[in-house]
Amino acid sequence: MKRSLRNKLLVWLLIIGGLLLSNPLQEAITRERQLRRYNEPTPIAKILEFEPVAITGVIAGMMLGGFRGTAANLMWMKLDEYWHSEKWHDCLYIMRTVTLLDPHFIEAWKTTSWHLMYNMTVETQDESEKQKYLQEGIDVLKEGISWNPEQYDLYVELGWDYFDKMDDYDQAARWFGYALQFEHPDYVERLLAHGYERLPDIEKALDWYDYCLKRYPFDNTAIGATVTIRERYLEAWRLLQAGSYQQARDLILDHLATDPTGSIGIRLLATIYEREARATRDPAAARRLKGQALREWENLARTYALDSYARRKVLALKQELGLKETPEELERRLAQERRQSMIEREKTGLYGAHEHQPTAPGQ
Amino acid sequence: MSAVSRIPQYTAQWTRPVLQIAKYTLHEAVRRRFMNVILLFGIVVIASSSMFAAWAPGAELKMIVDTGLGAIRIFGLLMAVFLGAILIPTEIEKKTIHVLLAKPVSRMQFLLGKFLGAYLTVLLNIVLMGLAFLAVMYLKRSAFAGEKAMAFLYPNLAAALVLMMFELLVLTGIAITVSTIASWVFTAVFSFFVYFAAQLRTTLGHLAEPGHYDNPISQGILSVLHVVLPHFEDFDVRQKIIGGEPVLANYVGMCILGALLYTGILLLLGYFVFHEREV
Repeated sequence: MKRSLRNKLLVWLLIIGGLLLSNPLQEAITRERQLRRYNEPTPIAKILEFEPVAITGVIAGMMLGGFRGTAANLMWMKLDEYWHSEKWHDCLYIMRTVTLLDPHFIEAWKTTSWHLMYNMTVETQDESEKQKYLQEGIDVLKEGISWNPEQYDLYVELGWDYFDKMDDYDQAARWFGYALQFEHPDYVERLLAHGYERLPDIEKALDWYDYCLKRYPFDNTAIGATVTIRERYLEAWRLLQAGSYQQARDLILDHLATDPTGSIGIRLLATIYEREARATRDPAAARRLKGQALREWENLARTYALDSYARRKVLALKQELGLKETPEELERRLAQERRQSMIEREKTGLYGAHEHQPTAPGQ
Repeated sequence: MSAVSRIPQYTAQWTRPVLQIAKYTLHEAVRRRFMNVILLFGIVVIASSSMFAAWAPGAELKMIVDTGLGAIRIFGLLMAVFLGAILIPTEIEKKTIHVLLAKPVSRMQFLLGKFLGAYLTVLLNIVLMGLAFLAVMYLKRSAFAGEKAMAFLYPNLAAALVLMMFELLVLTGIAITVSTIASWVFTAVFSFFVYFAAQLRTTLGHLAEPGHYDNPISQGILSVLHVVLPHFEDFDVRQKIIGGEPVLANYVGMCILGALLYTGILLLLGYFVFHEREV
């Protein structure tokens, strides 16, 4: 065999041997990378979820590889320019592109959702458009969570949006609860307690406030909330759990006499009526109790113009009672009643026209 | 004297011209104006990275890390590609290669010398830019005190820089190998194309799986690309740096081993092509 041919064969053997050797090593690196989340590739299934226009952004982001963070940062700086020119829709477009370019840019997900839920919603007077922006804000955060499932930030943000913008305390408590599974700052436990307090699930709220206090004995918010809950609502809550509806109601009504607009008190009272209505076997009594619950939720909706949870409750109870009212009709009626109440206040000098009167001693 | 005992002497004799060429290439490369300009740009961008942080309240650390590491990567990439692409075609064009190959220096020694010289130049620049970046991070450290990412920041940044060095080793290997048969313009364009296409390697692998394409030719092409393209995505650990989790030494070690093996294969291929070529 000629020497040059032998050399050629040797080189090819080395190349093939090297390739054979490198394949299992590269597979091991890929496994390690994906297992320990060093750098996650964009899954095919996820790309297919996007709308066709967005796919271009995703592919561009993937091709940029190590530069995707830099590209996203440059876009983020461009956002600043649009922001100061008050081009809100363009801002939204840039924010979305940034999340597509670098889906691990947590701040971009948070800001996009905030812009949709807190800015875009007030830019429009159209109720259906408002709802659309709110839903988009929620969807953006859920998409962000699917990219960053092991970071607490977006769970808390979603919980907060449910708490503050959607008034859906059930969902808020759920998402705050998810955030606790990961390393998180101290305030998340307190947020969860607030969520349960508003729901209301008084016992769980107290449990979480107590937990906050055990960890940080000088947490003034938790101290205040614990004292208020124990003083005002805990006993009534326990009576409610035991099925002593009348006694629970009396206790709450006593507290409402001194704090007639206390949102948690009114919520709890409405919940007591609703639970009693569900527990009773007498259809007429159930209907009457639901009517009373409806009155309390209406009271709350009238007092708190932004309480959409109370509005949802009013509409749901009206439907159960066979009373027809659309969300727009409800809004008009509440506005009118609020105006009327303000006129009354002007006349009487009292804040709010409420029916809760204190019980005199011995009564 | 037995044949085995002569191996070190033979190795020293064989590597001497390689090191000489590498040294000469390094001297020549650091004097190139475009390299100095790239380095200057790199250091300016890195130094101003903390300024960009003001645009993202709440994500300042991410902005600095992304801008700093991104600048080192992009300027390192430019150096690796252009230097790798220009060295051999210039020697061929100016006919200076004949002087070297007549020394006698084998083509393997020439190729390795050029590769080492180019890579050492890139490495030197990466180290300089890396030091500038670490200095920026050190000066800004008080602004990020208590942040989760600070727990492993310096070891993670060191790991990221080491991985970047080996990523650019592979890229220099690609540029040098292609430059043995192509012009420097083609080599530069091809190297950039490979770099960006390689970022999609895992996705191409998923697309090659049954169910995505009915056409066996498309599946075949995707499978080949998945195997052949370098694993550049393995060298990006930015997510861990921002997340404040440690980049493990065994992962870095595996990536280094993979890069050395891949570059070795590339250089063998380069030698094979270069050996056959009339210069």
